[in-house]
Amino acid sequence: MRLKLDPRTKLYMLLIVSAIVMMSATTPFLWAIRLTMTAIPLVLLVTEKRYASALRFAVLYAAALLLTFRFLSEESTGLLKSLLTGYSGIVVQFMPALITAWYVVRTTKIGEFMSAMQKMHVPDGLAISLAVVMRFFPTIKEEYASISDAMRMRGVALGGGNAAKMIEYRMIPLLFSCVNIGDELSAAAITRGLGGKGKRTSVEVLRLRAFDWLLIAAFTAAAVVFAVFKYVL
Amino acid sequence: MDTKKLTAKDFITVGIFTAILFVVEFACGMLGYIHPYVVASYVVMIPLVGAIPMMLFYTKVKKFGMISIMSVLLAIIMFVTGMGYLGAPLIILAGVIADLIAKSGGYKSVQKTVLSHGVFCLWICANYFPVVITAQSYRQGLVEAGFSAEYCDNLFRAINTKTIAVLLILCFIFGCIGAWIGKAVVKKHFEKAGIV
Repeated sequence: MRLKLDPRTKLYMLLIVSAIVMMSATTPFLWAIRLTMTAIPLVLLVTEKRYASALRFAVLYAAALLLTFRFLSEESTGLLKSLLTGYSGIVVQFMPALITAWYVVRTTKIGEFMSAMQKMHVPDGLAISLAVVMRFFPTIKEEYASISDAMRMRGVALGGGNAAKMIEYRMIPLLFSCVNIGDELSAAAITRGLGGKGKRTSVEVLRLRAFDWLLIAAFTAAAVVFAVFKYVL
Repeated sequence: MDTKKLTAKDFITVGIFTAILFVVEFACGMLGYIHPYVVASYVVMIPLVGAIPMMLFYTKVKKFGMISIMSVLLAIIMFVTGMGYLGAPLIILAGVIADLIAKSGGYKSVQKTVLSHGVFCLWICANYFPVVITAQSYRQGLVEAGFSAEYCDNLFRAINTKTIAVLLILCFIFGCIGAWIGKAVVKKHFEKAGIV
């Protein structure tokens, strides 16, 4: 089964989840909402056949939840414990947004994204830049991995223990490759007519289907319920 | 390339450097969980490290709007990654002012670039806004998220309504220092290689 969601639905989901992660869950009921909202993008990842990343996220999130609630408390002190608290805290806090963002970035084609942006009347410039940012995180990760490999091979991974050197050794090659990739990207995009005067058309016509509306309704409801239970009741 | 309007290439450049800058911010942000004082030292770390890509970015900025768009993108990313919307006005304001300063120098003047980067770095303080403005509920949220009471106490000792002014000034100063260093690094590596 492969559900085809409209990019606008995905962005809306991302918006709601980001808003919710900012409000901390205090009662079991609020936690339930939060967990459900985290589960939805996970399920969506599975339907998109991204089993590995879905599993990775699920395990990491579950481990962090377990750590936070079972073993750590306000009184935990000591370096290891506070490190652990910090990291599981951040995972619990931001994971829902991260999963959703990952889902959106990984399953939205750039063409779809642009045409959704156009439908929402976002200025072209902002849309282009945003699309590039979205596409670029994985690229940076890859480039960085190759740089690390190369450094390890030559035994300069730690830069001689000098923090400034360590940053310089990593940052400069990364910037070099990013600038080059950027130039190539611009050339490719301009060849395909990006930034042209005509109005963009899209092969795939974007339409909000029943399932899109269902998800939008569900997320809106979840956000409203969350806010009401947190601040009113 | 003598048009006043921004071209597709400019937008792509903005996108790329925003992504890099955010990665720097994110990497520094991860360190913040070691100790709250590290959180306060973002104002030193991010301007210094981020200055290298930023200075390379400034060499590519020729028209008004690129730095402003970058700040808007940063605000969007900050929101999406769960940092809240409270800092958004500060980020965008800093971006636009930085853009204006750089513009007054024709995007070439060294002093103006340094000054502009200093102002731009004020966006980092947007990270602290939730801590300062919604101190009470933020603290509660942290405790519930499993942070130790000690971490919270230290965090609020380092960052509150009194210290935020100091942090803003530090941001600016280290933004300027970072710009000088970044300029030197760009000169050392990129100008020689002919990329700039």
